[in-house]
Amino acid sequence: MIRRSDFSKFDLWLIVFVVILSVIGIFTIYSAGFDVVTKINNGMYRKQIISFVIGLVFMFGIMVINFRIIEQNCFYIYIGLLFVVILTSFLAPSIRGTRAWIDFGFFSIQPSEFMKIATIVMLAKYLELRERDIQNFRELFVPAIITLVPVFFIMLQPDFGTAMIFIPVLFVMLFAAGADITHLVSVASIALIALLIPTYITHHEWLHTEAYNPLISFFKKGSGVFILIAVLIFISVIFFAFRFIFAKKSYRRIYIPATVLSIGLVLAVILQRSLRDYQKNRILVYLNPDLDPKGAGYNVIQAKIAIGSGGFFGKGYLSGTQTQYGFLPEKTSDFVFPVIAEEWGFFGALVVILLMFGIIYQGLKVALEAKDKFSSLLAFGLSSLFLFHAIINIGMVIGLTPVTGIPLCFVSYGGTNLIMCMIAVGILLSIKMSKSA
Amino acid sequence: MSVTSLRGRMLEAFRGKVFLFMSVTGGIFIIFIFQLINLQFIQGSYYSTRARSNIEDNVPVPASRGEVYDRHYDIKSSSNKVIASNRPSFNITTVPAKFENKKQMAEIVQRVAVLLGVDSFELLREMDKANPWQRIVIKEDVSFDVVVSIASHEELYEHIMWEDAPVRVYNYGPVFSHVMGYIGSIDPGEYDKLKDQGYKYYQKIGKNGIEKQYDNFLRGTDGSVKRIVDVHNRTEGEELGDEPVSGNNLVLSLDYELQNVAYTAMQDKMGSVIAVKPSTGEILVLLSKPDFDPNLITSKNASDILASLQNDEQKPFLNRAIQSKYPPASTFKLITSIAALEDEKWQPDWRYFCSGHYILKGLQDRSYQCYKGQSHGNLDMIGAIGMSCNVYFYNLGYKIGPTSIINYAKYLCMDKVTGIDLPGEISGFVPSKQWKMKTFGQGWFDGDTINLAIGQGFTSITPVALCDLVSAIVNRGIVYKPHLVREVRSQDNATVIKRIEREKLFEIPLSARTIETVTSGMRFGVTNGTSARLNYLKVPIAAKTGTVQTRSVVKSDNTQHAWFVGFAPFGGTPDDSVVVVVMVEYGVAGAIAAVPVGEAIFSKMISMGYFNDTQK
Repeated sequence: MIRRSDFSKFDLWLIVFVVILSVIGIFTIYSAGFDVVTKINNGMYRKQIISFVIGLVFMFGIMVINFRIIEQNCFYIYIGLLFVVILTSFLAPSIRGTRAWIDFGFFSIQPSEFMKIATIVMLAKYLELRERDIQNFRELFVPAIITLVPVFFIMLQPDFGTAMIFIPVLFVMLFAAGADITHLVSVASIALIALLIPTYITHHEWLHTEAYNPLISFFKKGSGVFILIAVLIFISVIFFAFRFIFAKKSYRRIYIPATVLSIGLVLAVILQRSLRDYQKNRILVYLNPDLDPKGAGYNVIQAKIAIGSGGFFGKGYLSGTQTQYGFLPEKTSDFVFPVIAEEWGFFGALVVILLMFGIIYQGLKVALEAKDKFSSLLAFGLSSLFLFHAIINIGMVIGLTPVTGIPLCFVSYGGTNLIMCMIAVGILLSIKMSKSA
Repeated sequence: MSVTSLRGRMLEAFRGKVFLFMSVTGGIFIIFIFQLINLQFIQGSYYSTRARSNIEDNVPVPASRGEVYDRHYDIKSSSNKVIASNRPSFNITTVPAKFENKKQMAEIVQRVAVLLGVDSFELLREMDKANPWQRIVIKEDVSFDVVVSIASHEELYEHIMWEDAPVRVYNYGPVFSHVMGYIGSIDPGEYDKLKDQGYKYYQKIGKNGIEKQYDNFLRGTDGSVKRIVDVHNRTEGEELGDEPVSGNNLVLSLDYELQNVAYTAMQDKMGSVIAVKPSTGEILVLLSKPDFDPNLITSKNASDILASLQNDEQKPFLNRAIQSKYPPASTFKLITSIAALEDEKWQPDWRYFCSGHYILKGLQDRSYQCYKGQSHGNLDMIGAIGMSCNVYFYNLGYKIGPTSIINYAKYLCMDKVTGIDLPGEISGFVPSKQWKMKTFGQGWFDGDTINLAIGQGFTSITPVALCDLVSAIVNRGIVYKPHLVREVRSQDNATVIKRIEREKLFEIPLSARTIETVTSGMRFGVTNGTSARLNYLKVPIAAKTGTVQTRSVVKSDNTQHAWFVGFAPFGGTPDDSVVVVVMVEYGVAGAIAAVPVGEAIFSKMISMGYFNDTQK
């Protein structure tokens, strides 16, 4: 339990930022909640207030109880939640095509949200234990499993947005824990090569360009690409062998790029041949929604119209035409930021971005000041979780990142997400207070 | 020690990484802020416009297209002949971009297609091709009941809209078909060319005839109603944007009664009729047969009718008065006469004996026949014109040579367009020695000359140009540009906005003797010659006929085109005169086929009092 003196370490700023941002969220949800025709509010803001209060209880509760309880039980929490997630993926009723919610009648819970924290705690714990060996490539295997198992089952729901938030968090936590940058970059490069080549080809075909493109014809036709892969594999094997024969670490510079390139190309060939056209088109539209202005691109275009038409001071609270006349879709959840930018203008959007940065900044400060590796990594992981939510969500609505259904922490409607975020803040507060313990 | 230092190094490394991460985070947020500045300030006005266009539904309020009247338009009269006007009606429209997805669009389009009886497949294809923000017309000219049934089921017909769309009505249908032309939806090619002139993609545009030529006067400027709508296109409010500006009315120089008489007289013959007042160039009658009903092709879904008309072997869209040329046959003898007299190579009283044959001397003598080889006896020039004696003109042409004749045909602009205010006029053709050498690699033979003299052979002339020839004779050498529109009037208060003044097309100095001789020859044709059936009319008519030998492509028995050119009153002042040209393709018995049409028109003009001043 905490001592009285610990309250001097009380992170008031973090709490202030979180409360202001959540209140902005509640007001925005109220504004976005009016029916286009009847002008009756749907009352979602009330549910959000309740969630906020519950969130506050959890936040202060964890702060007072001390996060060590979570640390000590992290394995059971992880396994237990994973079990619930798996059950949800198979047994939960399908709501808009996704089995992500457990319905309790008067409220419903999305276990995958809590899985985010459980995974981060688990990763922090494991990485603390393996701190010294983490430079070894083999040591990356367990963290990958810890992350990818829940990702796999969340993908099954399917909830692509929630699932993919785990990946960048894993990467930055490995990075912070001291994993070899070469390893991380290699894995990322393989994924990039494997995805970008088929996407590039699909884009080329989408545009119906007749122009001869030597890159594409090299990749699609003839055996050129297979010869290239064979040569690359040969090089990697030879130099990998040399490395041990001559015990020269510098051969890494040759065999790692060669291996990365060859694996990337093999995966690219497999993807290019196995994905059906509609799947490729979906990836393409995901990356560039402008290609499908009536379908996937519609939401983003309407969001950009809402933001762009907001100007400096906005159209006024409850007066955004994009919001109030229903042109902006998903305006309480994923597209809540455009509502603020439309009704409060650049000013309002800037305040939200700065508050979000403030929360992440305070979180990272906690990570720096934390006493032990576990607390540091945990605080770092949780901060990065907020960051990636913000990047993916805001980046999407301002048209910089692909369209992925991810809420904006503290602002978007959604009880589980809000409570999860506030639990995370509670952990941060607790770490901060216990550092001198 | 080493352990602590390792711990310290690792802590240091961790701190470095957190700082790096923090800077990257800051960098990303700065990029976000720049993008916000980009969206909200740099592109702010663009997105504001987009936001406005989301909630504003600019429903065009079509301008009332100008009405068209015949020449007897009287502002005070209630029985004006309205040739073209408008009838209130509705269009059912939609905007593809308003639909949330293709599935919803397909569902609603199919539903509305069933209601309206249109092809939903075709419609969806059109919607896919078009700019998604463009209004697409699903069906034109629907009744108010249909609009009501759509309006009362908004949930079934989301994003389906309607708008006022008056339908063009051509009150006399085919009678004025070639003159009026018709209107149709602007096609993408036309739109690209005309959008700078204020045309909109959804508008109707004159496709032919007066409708095309005077489109800028007729069309007016569309107004708009701004509806404030939500995403489901439900109306939140309405405000009037710009008021439509009505198009202008046209008062034609055409005479409804005369046009109608010509139409009746032509029955189902192919050919054309023109009547012109040579003193001004005003056209009283302009008719082409076969015709079409423009009312059937103004609607959007008339492409079948349009295609069948376009593919019709008889080419009903061809305005034969200005878009067909024929050998002028005996009507050309007027030009030959003018050339002979003006160049003073011939005297009107020079006589020649017609034996029914003309022997052209050469290596081998060749014999040319008069009409059916009949002898006309001893004729002077007036008699030769009146009896249309080929032999006389063979002799005359041989004597004066081709150059003089060709020159006069060109002075009289027989190879040029008349500049009539209708689109698509073609010019006639007058041969020359050089042309023949270039085309056939042969020199000009005497046989060519005598063929030229009687209007057979290479020459071909449009009916409207032939009208100018007679006008030149009647109007003492001055020819005014033939035109169909007299006045442009405001649709709102009928005040005259523009009066079309006569415009001199060309002038050719003709001596009084030439005019006297040629007109007397034409008069002789009525009193004693080929147009004798007009002799009974109270007003003296002068006329010339012509028979074109041709090979029929349509009717196997009738292998001759018939010309009739005439004017009245003979001996009157040019100001009262009216010139009539009739061309009947594949007439029953040569020139005779065209004469009754001329007769009907002159007879009607007399009874209408066109020549009252002369009769007194």
